[in-house]
Amino acid sequence: AAKPPAGAAPYLDIGELRSLACDALLQESFYQNKKRPFLYRDQDHTPGPFLTQLVSTLAAFLCGRNPLLAASSLDLKPEVNYYWHHGEEVVVHGHRKGRVDPVRFQIDDHPHLQIRVPKQLPEFVPLESDLGDVPVIDHKPSKLPLFKKQYENKVFIGSKAADPCCYGHTQFHLIPDKLKRERFVRANLEDQIEVVYRANGIASLFAWTAAQAMYQGFWSEADVTRPFVSQAVVTDGKYFAFFCYQLNTLALTVETIQNNPRKNICWGTDSKPLYDVVEDGSVKGFNDEVLLQLVRFLLNRPKEL
Amino acid sequence: GVRQAQWLTKTKLVEGLPPSVLSIIDNPAHQLEGHEERVKRAISHARFWDTMEVAPRREHYCPVLFEDLIHLCRLMSAKYPSLTKRMLARNYKISATWERESILLQVRGLNGILMNSMAPIPPVASKEEILATEEHVLETFYPISPTIDLQEVNVYKELNDTGFRDGYPYSHPHTLFFLESANVRTDRFRPEQLRAKMLMFAFGNALAKAKVLYGNDPKVLEQPIVVQSIGTDGQLFQFMVFQLNTTDLVSSDGIKNLVWIDPDQNLYEKAQCIPEVKKRVVTKPAGIYGFQPDTFKKFLALYLHGTV
Repeated sequence: AAKPPAGAAPYLDIGELRSLACDALLQESFYQNKKRPFLYRDQDHTPGPFLTQLVSTLAAFLCGRNPLLAASSLDLKPEVNYYWHHGEEVVVHGHRKGRVDPVRFQIDDHPHLQIRVPKQLPEFVPLESDLGDVPVIDHKPSKLPLFKKQYENKVFIGSKAADPCCYGHTQFHLIPDKLKRERFVRANLEDQIEVVYRANGIASLFAWTAAQAMYQGFWSEADVTRPFVSQAVVTDGKYFAFFCYQLNTLALTVETIQNNPRKNICWGTDSKPLYDVVEDGSVKGFNDEVLLQLVRFLLNRPKEL
Repeated sequence: GVRQAQWLTKTKLVEGLPPSVLSIIDNPAHQLEGHEERVKRAISHARFWDTMEVAPRREHYCPVLFEDLIHLCRLMSAKYPSLTKRMLARNYKISATWERESILLQVRGLNGILMNSMAPIPPVASKEEILATEEHVLETFYPISPTIDLQEVNVYKELNDTGFRDGYPYSHPHTLFFLESANVRTDRFRPEQLRAKMLMFAFGNALAKAKVLYGNDPKVLEQPIVVQSIGTDGQLFQFMVFQLNTTDLVSSDGIKNLVWIDPDQNLYEKAQCIPEVKKRVVTKPAGIYGFQPDTFKKFLALYLHGTV
């Protein structure tokens, strides 16, 4: 991603941003007297409040430079749902045995924080670009842990259709305790750590952008005429991974996917630590690069603004 | 209610908000652009749009409304960069102990959301007003003991803790926010009791800070400490500014503390989620009724107080 365009804004004070981030981190981990964290609820104790503080103070600091942020709406722990059809299967048992049905998918997501804005973010690449192939999986999706059972068909971006802030800007996800890095390292599955971040990024962003498109009236029979773009940051409190998603097509059902050359694209980074350790009231090994990337994400806006 | 809290904290009540806050409200330079529209949007978001159900419950919409209003206030930092020197602290714990005519009282525990700032709020009352409180006599409730309805506990340690460690850069408590968000009406505090709770906790925070700054000896403070407090149940707002003038609380004479209260400000009269229909005719379409922009102006003024 490019630096903020020269001449558009005065020099971004990285020292000020660094001190805001360090203050948020120190408050949550050191200065505030808190009881010990609840069992397996480490994420609610420190990284959760730290993320909320960091995003709200950075957004307030940067809203002078990004008028889109000044008109934005911040949601805490919203719900994002999307329901779609993709592929076919034969019904196995029951009174409809033998009939061919589309496979139904539903994502119910709970990001920690999200920013919704009234204008769409600009596209990264043109609508029809093809940057690679999508891997094909043969077995049923219910064998994967994400799509075991499908309860209610819900489509929701975080607020109802009447809200003027109907486009998504950035989501912030917190990795739950069950998927902590230490557990993977102990189980000798270090290569799976990045997979967790990427899977979270792709699934959540697809659900969010597709739900936004559906709010604007597009669906699998009436495909999107302009790309829907959103960003996400997945973190466990110390390691941050950044993702950008561009939705080019919603046509994923069996009938519509046959002549559909468009693909949805997700760009992502590996997870990098924001700091090394917090001790005695100071943050050691603060990584400015990660903070700058976060700031660039927050400053993203349409070219007219 | 508030009268009991006044006796317990040795405070004199003044109706309405102090002149420094009122001047912020009246100053048009301190308004957010298009703020009426944005506040209405925030209310609609909290009361209508935030959930898949038809009408969210109070437990859901009260914190959401609060977060949205705070987000709007924080966006003012584009105009006033020193507003970034504020930090919200959720789930923090306060403890303060004091003696009042041979009764030991204390305020403890999780209470609300505290906003801290690096710089303290300058004293709101002039020196003459502070000296004038000397003549004011505290209201007593003979034969009712002033500690009625207070929980009696055995205390083994007399704690005074602001909730944060030393060296915390945002060391001055600025505003306390109380959200009465229980769904059942009997679980919520009535406005009078909410105001009393706000007064007790604002006093507790100011006292803990005073003891940290000036030591444990009871004395009259050279630099009075000001703590603000806002309480709401999602619709009705209570605004309060408390100034601690003295930590000499054992006797009932001498200089008193001061509190300014602006009670029962409605942000809106009614939020209709589904249109009211009588005999197949829509009598009341869905929307917000009776919106009062002044309440948000007061909210914003209390937020900006101390920096402008």
